[in-house]
Amino acid sequence: MSTQETRERLELLQGTLDLLILRTLIFGSQHGQGIARAIQQTSEEELLVEHGALYPALQRLEERGWISAKWGTSANNRKARFYSLTAAGRKQLVKETAKWKRLAAAIGRILDPAKEG
Amino acid sequence: MFRDKRKASDFSAEIEAHIQHESERLQEQGLGEKEARAAARRSFGNVMQAEEHLYESGRWLWWDHLRQDLRFGLRMLGRNPGFTVTVVLTLALSIGANTAIFSIVNTLLLKSLPYSHPERMGTIYTRVTGPVGSDERHHLNGEQWELLRDNVPALISAVSGIRASGVNLEAGSRVQYVHAGRISAHYLDVLAIHPIIGRNFSDAEDRPHGPKTAILNYSLWRNAWGANPNILGQAVLLKGEPYAVIGVLPEGAIIPLNADLYTALQPSRQGEGTGTNFEAITRLRDGATWQEADAEINRAWSLRTHRYELEKNPGAHAMYYSVSLQKGETATLRPQVLTLMLAAGFILLIACANLAGLTLVRVLRRTPEIATRLALGASRWQIQKQLWVENLLLAFAGGIAGIAVGLVALRGLLLLLPEHFLPGADVSLDGRVLAFTLFVSLLTSALFGMLPALTTREFDLRSTIGSRHSTGGDRLRLRQALIMTEVALTVVLLAASGLLVRTLIHLQTLPPGFNPTGVMTARASLDNVRYHDASAFRKLLNKSLATMREIPGVQYAAVGLSLPYERALNAGGIAISDGKEAGQKVMADEVYTTPDYFAALQIPVLTGRSFTEADGPDTQRVAIVNQMFVRKFFHDANAVGRYLDKDTMIVGVVENVAMAPGIDPVAPLTSEETMYVPPAQMEARQLSLLHVWFQPSWIVRTSGPVEGLTAQMQRALASADPNLPCSGFYSMRDLLAKTLATQRVEVALLSAMTALALLLSAVGIFALIANIVAQKTREIGIRLALGSTIRQAMIHTGAPGVRASALGLILGLILCTGALRAMHSVLYGIGVYDVPALATVVLTLGLVTLLATILPTLKIAKIDPAKTLREE
Repeated sequence: MSTQETRERLELLQGTLDLLILRTLIFGSQHGQGIARAIQQTSEEELLVEHGALYPALQRLEERGWISAKWGTSANNRKARFYSLTAAGRKQLVKETAKWKRLAAAIGRILDPAKEG
Repeated sequence: MFRDKRKASDFSAEIEAHIQHESERLQEQGLGEKEARAAARRSFGNVMQAEEHLYESGRWLWWDHLRQDLRFGLRMLGRNPGFTVTVVLTLALSIGANTAIFSIVNTLLLKSLPYSHPERMGTIYTRVTGPVGSDERHHLNGEQWELLRDNVPALISAVSGIRASGVNLEAGSRVQYVHAGRISAHYLDVLAIHPIIGRNFSDAEDRPHGPKTAILNYSLWRNAWGANPNILGQAVLLKGEPYAVIGVLPEGAIIPLNADLYTALQPSRQGEGTGTNFEAITRLRDGATWQEADAEINRAWSLRTHRYELEKNPGAHAMYYSVSLQKGETATLRPQVLTLMLAAGFILLIACANLAGLTLVRVLRRTPEIATRLALGASRWQIQKQLWVENLLLAFAGGIAGIAVGLVALRGLLLLLPEHFLPGADVSLDGRVLAFTLFVSLLTSALFGMLPALTTREFDLRSTIGSRHSTGGDRLRLRQALIMTEVALTVVLLAASGLLVRTLIHLQTLPPGFNPTGVMTARASLDNVRYHDASAFRKLLNKSLATMREIPGVQYAAVGLSLPYERALNAGGIAISDGKEAGQKVMADEVYTTPDYFAALQIPVLTGRSFTEADGPDTQRVAIVNQMFVRKFFHDANAVGRYLDKDTMIVGVVENVAMAPGIDPVAPLTSEETMYVPPAQMEARQLSLLHVWFQPSWIVRTSGPVEGLTAQMQRALASADPNLPCSGFYSMRDLLAKTLATQRVEVALLSAMTALALLLSAVGIFALIANIVAQKTREIGIRLALGSTIRQAMIHTGAPGVRASALGLILGLILCTGALRAMHSVLYGIGVYDVPALATVVLTLGLVTLLATILPTLKIAKIDPAKTLREE
């Protein structure tokens, strides 16, 4: 990935990877590499998804019943395991999003109190 | 669970797909194929680690680990066979003892009786409150029975005679001595037992003077009639009279009153019904409740004219209530069985204390191994888990061996118990017993595994791995405490069984009041129409005794209604007719005896005379009483010449003899106030009733052993009546043993358990000292090198064991002061704090402690100081 190494990217905070995976899958089913790409691109290359950590996370979400997986064929005609959001996962996403927004706002208020007045 | 499981190969395929995608994307961005693939791999990180991660999140991992732990545990146990065998043996013995005793508890107290709806079956207890209180199952008299039968509609009630009696059964040309039980109509209905052929007794057959009918049990039917179904309606000669067989009981039918055949009781208020000679069982009718039944019983019985239970107890009040039949039938055995269970529990605790000590030492010895594993990254939890797995393995091995030991012990136990000791069903290892054993195994592993597991939490990695020596000296106190505990428990068991042994010795060596050696007895049933005639009865006695006297070597021959050591007939309402006690009615044992009875048994005649042939039916009515009778009713005044029942003159006073209690059960053997009368003066009506309950004994005294004595006695009896079979021959020793059977069983069981406890304690002390010797070899070597003698070294090494044992002894004796008081009711002739018994406990324990301490210290003599020092 020599082309991207020019800029130092942010490492994901603990626990945020699950949320981002769920969010990415809202647009439809996707395989692991696709999810990683999507997160990186949507964050405008700010976030780095450790590929080694991605699959255990997918595994975990699958076990909790938030996503389901199925083998399928990718756009470039390769076999890949496709993940999609379940109803429980959708609910979880709403919950986690609300929580994350509150957290971000709270941290924002502390770091930049003037803005709040 | 299985559905969700994802295979590792599937995961690898997904990762492979990911790397393909990534490298293709990189190639699109212009990288070479090889380079792109390498970059993709790099960005993925450690593929192996991801795969491992997946594997560890698999749900079956614990099983893998367990298997691993089990394998490792087995290997560790196999490497140390001495330890493993000791532990498994200890567990097998202690768990086996518990399993065997629990099987009995299970049969007696937990398992339902083998009848349909056993919870609806009961019996009646009487609770007397007042100056003299009691709460027990009473026998009923005829009045109570009629009221219960007629005025308690909530119950199906039935009564039986109190015990089966021996009778002669003539079938074809054979005469057989069998046990006959007498039961009322509906007795089998209460038990819900239906004959396999025929029917139960009808109400008409159960009425006084009703038709004579009999029901056979299955084995008598099979043995005497070859299971012939045509037996129904046939007459069998029973007690010399024809009885029509109306039914045969199913095979293995369990009847509380055990007998070979049954006849109708025909209870009434007359005859035996004037006394409490019936035993009741009840079954709740459909739709009725026990409360209703109890209310009806109380209403019916409180209106009686003669309430014997309130006699001589002014102001007392009686109430009656139903208890389950199971409880009623097992009430007398319950405390004994629970005591044994408690003793078995002690054994288990002692075993656990020993095993805790052993496993503790083992864990301490394994310190380097455990430290190494900790250093290599094992978590403390993993180490603990490993230790627990090993404990569980041991406990299960011990449990399985324990079941085997329990089976063997149970078989021995049942052989030891007198027949029909346990009412009801057979004793077997059922699911409940196995569950109990499993539970006990788990409990032991938890108990003995706890200490070592706790110690591993305090491991200091750096110090343990640094030093070559296993630490463990500081655990000495803990192990001493364990030894102390088990010694204390052993002391309690020792003292308890010591007291029981002393009780048995006391009872067995109780002065019997007669000379039991050189006496042979035979019993025959005279419950027979032929002997309802008093002169026929007298002729039988005279002729048979005359023939027996002619047997060479026989000095005396006599007949008595009952013998010493046996239970005698209790006669109430004996009136004292003169003197200042005139008018008083007393209760005493009554025994008819032929003239030579006192000479044959060598019962000393203290004053007056013995009976003679001259005391016949038409002469002055006479009686002989024993000293107890004189003391109790005449206050030791001269009794000879006094009158009882108006016309019966006391002609002699004899020494008390030991007998089974009937009037006032204070001990298994006692001296009861007794009145002897000549059989020639008994009325025919009285005789026929007595012979329903009692089978008189023929007694001969010989000067020495006589060849074929029993056969000759049998011939003598047959010469007087060829149709009179003997029930068997008994020496007085046999009778004594029979009377003390319960005590013997108690002593045997508790002694066996005490021996086990003592053995376990000895093993515990031995192991402690042997371990100290092994650990301190170097120290002892130095001591010896510095001039200590071997004796000093031995004392120094053995002292901790002796100290622990001594403390345990003191603690045990303190425990005894409380625990032994509970034994008060089973001790006879000795106090709870019996000095010889306690002294024996102290001596035995001291001896065992010394042995267990000295044996391992003998090794010290083999220590070569020079060698041990060089080894360092």
